[in-house]
Amino acid sequence: MIQFLFKGILRDKSRSLLPVIIISIGVFLTIFMSGWMKGIFTDMIDLNAKFTTGHVKVMTQAYAENEKQLPNDLALMDANKWLSILQKENPEMEWVQRIHFGGLLDVPDSNGETRAQGPAIGKAIDLLSPNSHEANRMNITKSLVKGSLPSKNGQALISNEFAERFGVNVGDDITLFGSTMHGSMTFQTFKVSGTLNFGMSALDRGAIIIDISDAQQALDMLDVTSEILGYFNGDYNDNQAELIKTNFNNKYTKADDEYSPQMYKLTDQGGLKEMLMQAENMTSIMVFIFIVAMSIVLWNTGLLGGLRRYSEYGVRLALGEEKSHIYKTIIYEAIIIGSIGSIVGTIFGLSACFYLQENGIDFSDLMKNVDMMMPPVYRAIVTPDLFYIGFIPGLFAMTLGNALAGYSIYKRKTATLFKELEV
Amino acid sequence: MIAIKLAYKNLVGAGLRTWLNVSVLSFAFVLMIFYNGMIEGWNRQARNDTQDWEIGQGQYWEPSFDRYDPYTYQDAHQVISEPIIQQIKKGLLTPILLVQANMYPQGRMQSVLLKGVDPKQNILKLPTSDLRFSSNETCAIIGKRLADENKLSVGDKVLVRWRDKNGMFDAIEIKIASIFKTDVPSVENGNMYLNIEVLQKMTGMTNEASILVAGKDSKLYDITNWDFKTPDFLLTDFDAMIQSKKAGGIIMSGLLLIIALLAIFDTQVLSIFRRQKEIGTYIAMGMTRSQVVGIFTVEGGAHSILAALVGAIYGIPLFIWLNKVGIPMAANSQDAGITIADTIYPYYSLDLIISSLLLVIISATIVSYMPARKIAKLKPTEALKGKIQ
Amino acid sequence: MKYIAIIILSLLSISIWAQTASEILQKIDDNMSSDNQIIESSMTIHGKRNSRTITSITYTVGTEKSFTEYLSPAREKGTKMLKLTDKLWIYSPSTDRTIQISGHMLRQSVMGSDMSYEDAMDDRKLSEVYEANIIGEETYEDKAVYVLELNATVNDIAYHSRKMWVDKQKFIPLKEELYAKSGQLLKQFTVSEVKKFNNRWYPTKMNYKDMLKQGKGTDMNVISIKFNQDIPEYIFTKAALKQ
Repeated sequence: MIQFLFKGILRDKSRSLLPVIIISIGVFLTIFMSGWMKGIFTDMIDLNAKFTTGHVKVMTQAYAENEKQLPNDLALMDANKWLSILQKENPEMEWVQRIHFGGLLDVPDSNGETRAQGPAIGKAIDLLSPNSHEANRMNITKSLVKGSLPSKNGQALISNEFAERFGVNVGDDITLFGSTMHGSMTFQTFKVSGTLNFGMSALDRGAIIIDISDAQQALDMLDVTSEILGYFNGDYNDNQAELIKTNFNNKYTKADDEYSPQMYKLTDQGGLKEMLMQAENMTSIMVFIFIVAMSIVLWNTGLLGGLRRYSEYGVRLALGEEKSHIYKTIIYEAIIIGSIGSIVGTIFGLSACFYLQENGIDFSDLMKNVDMMMPPVYRAIVTPDLFYIGFIPGLFAMTLGNALAGYSIYKRKTATLFKELEV
Repeated sequence: MIAIKLAYKNLVGAGLRTWLNVSVLSFAFVLMIFYNGMIEGWNRQARNDTQDWEIGQGQYWEPSFDRYDPYTYQDAHQVISEPIIQQIKKGLLTPILLVQANMYPQGRMQSVLLKGVDPKQNILKLPTSDLRFSSNETCAIIGKRLADENKLSVGDKVLVRWRDKNGMFDAIEIKIASIFKTDVPSVENGNMYLNIEVLQKMTGMTNEASILVAGKDSKLYDITNWDFKTPDFLLTDFDAMIQSKKAGGIIMSGLLLIIALLAIFDTQVLSIFRRQKEIGTYIAMGMTRSQVVGIFTVEGGAHSILAALVGAIYGIPLFIWLNKVGIPMAANSQDAGITIADTIYPYYSLDLIISSLLLVIISATIVSYMPARKIAKLKPTEALKGKIQ
Repeated sequence: MKYIAIIILSLLSISIWAQTASEILQKIDDNMSSDNQIIESSMTIHGKRNSRTITSITYTVGTEKSFTEYLSPAREKGTKMLKLTDKLWIYSPSTDRTIQISGHMLRQSVMGSDMSYEDAMDDRKLSEVYEANIIGEETYEDKAVYVLELNATVNDIAYHSRKMWVDKQKFIPLKEELYAKSGQLLKQFTVSEVKKFNNRWYPTKMNYKDMLKQGKGTDMNVISIKFNQDIPEYIFTKAALKQ
């Protein structure tokens, strides 16, 4: 019978095409919406993770205690050793070093003497490794106003506002004047490879982004890093983070050595735990509303499907088909159509979410401040539940709608059939 | 008129199907208003809080002052002239003097910004009156987060070192007179508030201030030698964030709306398909095609009116309730540096409601019209027979 | 009458003390300052985690001009500092840049030590900016010392008052405490070795410590010192920084 129904569905487009399209679109929207919602409610946390906290973060205990003051004298030694330990123990995660520093940006005149000077916030990230995701993670590529990313050592990005205020052009030299981790003064001249718009006044006033190796050189921090951040391949997972953290800290954190590394997970830092919980609650409420809404719509589609084929059922009844048999075929058809629609919708929905997870939708064009680093870019997230939630409205609601609509068959009387059908 | 009557009869006659469509459309409607109301509520509260705690109706800056460049603080102060003093006495302006300093809680050095404020001021919500009764000791008020970070409580003393206007070092222990809690992180992060007269004496900057904060009734006018900064200027970063939040909401409500519209579209396609005889009859009775298209369009569009009504039935009590209890925000959200109240009370503006209503009605009408256009192509004779074309 | 005599006597004694106090200060200045000097010294900075030693050579003429070149470690080698009155330039060989250190930056620490550029730059003679009083005599580390209290006579100076333990024979402050206006102890300076160069005494081992911060402070050793040398004038020009 199933095979027969299949043929029917395939050959009768009015039976198959529109319902399948509607279910697919509906399921697609449900999944897309859920993924989107998770993205939108976690964007602030996501932003924090990307810029500050990582999914997990390793610092020395002493550094962590004074983190706000960027105490690089307390930074983590043997950075490469720790990096390889972390990579070996958690190969599925991406581990990156970052250094935060402050200093003066000094603009030279033609004689190499100070022409202008301004304070700057500095960040050093891995810009030059071929497989580094840092530039994208920090949204640097998109916030470029002029020029390009550093492509070799000795190049730097500075804030566009600073560049314009002091008349610095791409290709010009700029000297970072700061202090090494030991407190000695340090000078390093960089070629400005590009300028950035951060969208945060504090950074736009003066900021410099350089490659981590340049910073280690300039700040006398060879094999030293402010922090090592770990990123899951995808969404933040608190249980997993907790596990990794506990393992690491049990093994390597020494209570009597404040310079031994300690791992902190995202939710340990800056009130993010509460924010994350709230985001999760909000998301589930929204997803619930959405699934309910979608279920109602597809229920309606089921009803409509039943109505559409009112005369067909009349003919079939007239030919002597059992009411229960017709009802059964209606249900089976609904299941088949629902499944096809759900599968198609899920595939499209997941792909869309995946695409948006990787690329995001950029709202900056709609806004005054374009090319910001703190971006009005929203991303969807692909989570495991997206693989099945589409079936709730797609399959169950659809079947329920058809079952309700089909029920009216039992009300029909054979005697009036021919009158209704007007044949 | 007939179109509306017919539409109503047809819609109500369709029973469950209509109500299903209507309920989804009402979800979209309510959610749209809710989300935007929440963001707007956040926006208003945060703006109000920032104004109440920090920026008033705007600030007058000493011309060389730059809030993002602490190096400018050293020289950015000047004598408050007599006309300004009169304004201060009237409570229209309040001066703040900024001095960079270091504090040493538990022997750790940490930079702190000393802010001299007038204990008698009423422009800012800061509990400055706690600074009024300092006897011999120098007292300060600090925010809860700074207090927690440095394990300071009321009555504790902390050593603070600063330089006077000539660069001479001075250091004393300052007693914490009270600890305040605010939703505006920038008010408390690294700030310590002292009586402005005490700070002026400490630094030798007699009768000087770095910025003046304008109060509610102050008439905003140019004060010579002071640069006026509007609240909009001072809130630029925050506005940008709210903008982006709103943009994110557009997609969400948009998707929900699309779903509802999809259902209406489907319903329209079906009813036009099933009611060809009816259409034929209308045309035979002498209605023009566009009139018939109108009937069907109104019928589909009427979903949105019903949706608004249904939405109002459960939405209004919901919104009133939410406005009463508020939406609790994650505690410590301010730690992330964002100005956000612990509880957000959504704000529903008439603008918001009307524009959401218009959006829902117009879009529902458009999707109702699209399948109805087909009617124009029908031949009345064929239609009367109910033949599928 | 008796009382008046006592008062006169005590007034007299105060003036005698005061006289001696400024004399002591003068003698210290004679020891410590000179028309010009060339000092090779090392500075050991005790950080929280490790200690570093930096050596440098400094040419000074009068109180207004000074030129320092860092000799080691390798990272610092070739870095030069030129101070003319209240202006300071730093030259870094690796970048071939001369950078002027302005106002607020002068308050930063020198090479991570407990000393700021400003501390290092203010070389007005003590007798020019402080008024001294002898407040006692005691023994410090087996040496007879005067205890001097110095109060600033000018405004634009970092430390409002100082307390000094001055070796009675060598006229070298063996220990010095620097105070804030409020009387809060801010920095401490102790001398552990004094040597004679030509006919003047000069401290050769000392420790400079910020008393508000935890830590062991900064040790300074004088490796060699020469007074009244012929220092060519061109050394105090920005052009010389680049050579």
